[in-house]
Amino acid sequence: MIPSDHFVRYYNEVFKVLQEMGEEHLVAYWQELGRLQITALAERFRAGGLQAVYDYWERIRQEENCLGTLTLTEDYFEFQMHRCPSLSKAQDNDATACDRYCDHCMGWVQPLMEEVGLHAAHDIHSRTEPHCCLRVYRSAGEAVEFEREARLLCRPYMEAEERGIQLVKRPANPEESEE
Amino acid sequence: MNDPTDTPTRLRYRETGKLHMDFHRTINGTIGYLRKNFGREVLDAGFRRTAHDVYRAIWDELKAGDTRQLVEHWRYFFGREGGEFEITEDGDEIRLTVSRCPAIAYLQREGIAIDPDFCRQTIVVNAALAEETPFEITTEVLGNGRCVQTIRRRHDSE
Repeated sequence: MIPSDHFVRYYNEVFKVLQEMGEEHLVAYWQELGRLQITALAERFRAGGLQAVYDYWERIRQEENCLGTLTLTEDYFEFQMHRCPSLSKAQDNDATACDRYCDHCMGWVQPLMEEVGLHAAHDIHSRTEPHCCLRVYRSAGEAVEFEREARLLCRPYMEAEERGIQLVKRPANPEESEE
Repeated sequence: MNDPTDTPTRLRYRETGKLHMDFHRTINGTIGYLRKNFGREVLDAGFRRTAHDVYRAIWDELKAGDTRQLVEHWRYFFGREGGEFEITEDGDEIRLTVSRCPAIAYLQREGIAIDPDFCRQTIVVNAALAEETPFEITTEVLGNGRCVQTIRRRHDSE
């Protein structure tokens, strides 16, 4: 058993394996993570809106031992991460951290929020420092306003397209799709 | 009862605080995704890199003939996640007998279909940790969250 405490270090190795095979495979894996999270969370978020988003990340803040502040307003949810446990573990590691480690977060958050009609914007500040600010808005326009102020905006799918990476259209479960 | 977090340690990684057991769900999903799309070679590559690079401190000690960090790793993390297990030593053989794997128990409790290759994480990490060492580390999967993991000195290493 890879302990749950060490999951992110394993995850980081998977990112590097896929990245070495081609960036398109890493991007496709983020899409798969999004699909997994849609399965687990979309119904809850669709029914409960921003309050459900807040409740989910409050549980994550506790279980993953995050140092961060959660805020809920009428218009948005905010997770101001002061010390990200995920990047911190990827860095406190005898293996090296994937240079696009932080992108996995928006990699699953964006498809999930699109699925439930919300709009995520993520200022990761830096890819080597474990702090960031994630906001989830009701309004697409307000999310864009927040993105204009970002120090380092994380938009992995748009960036992949801009870098000419062909997104792989891969069925999540080929065995099921063959039926 | 002894609190494992209070004991002196030789572990390179020794997390404390709360647990996010749902990471086992993501490992389960990742295993299925990698195998179905790329095959076992790519699936195993992630496990092998975890064994050799992430667990480099354990691997280096095994190469030097020292099993203590691996055994402490087993004891600490199976204990921390609420597993039911026993570690026994008999001569040159150390055996971890798991009667309730916390990862499998979590997936079962959540009603998540367990990928047929879920236990490959244990099988491949153990086998990779044994490479270039005087030991073999075997994993016998018995089903329903039970397994036996054994470290034994290779006769050809003597």
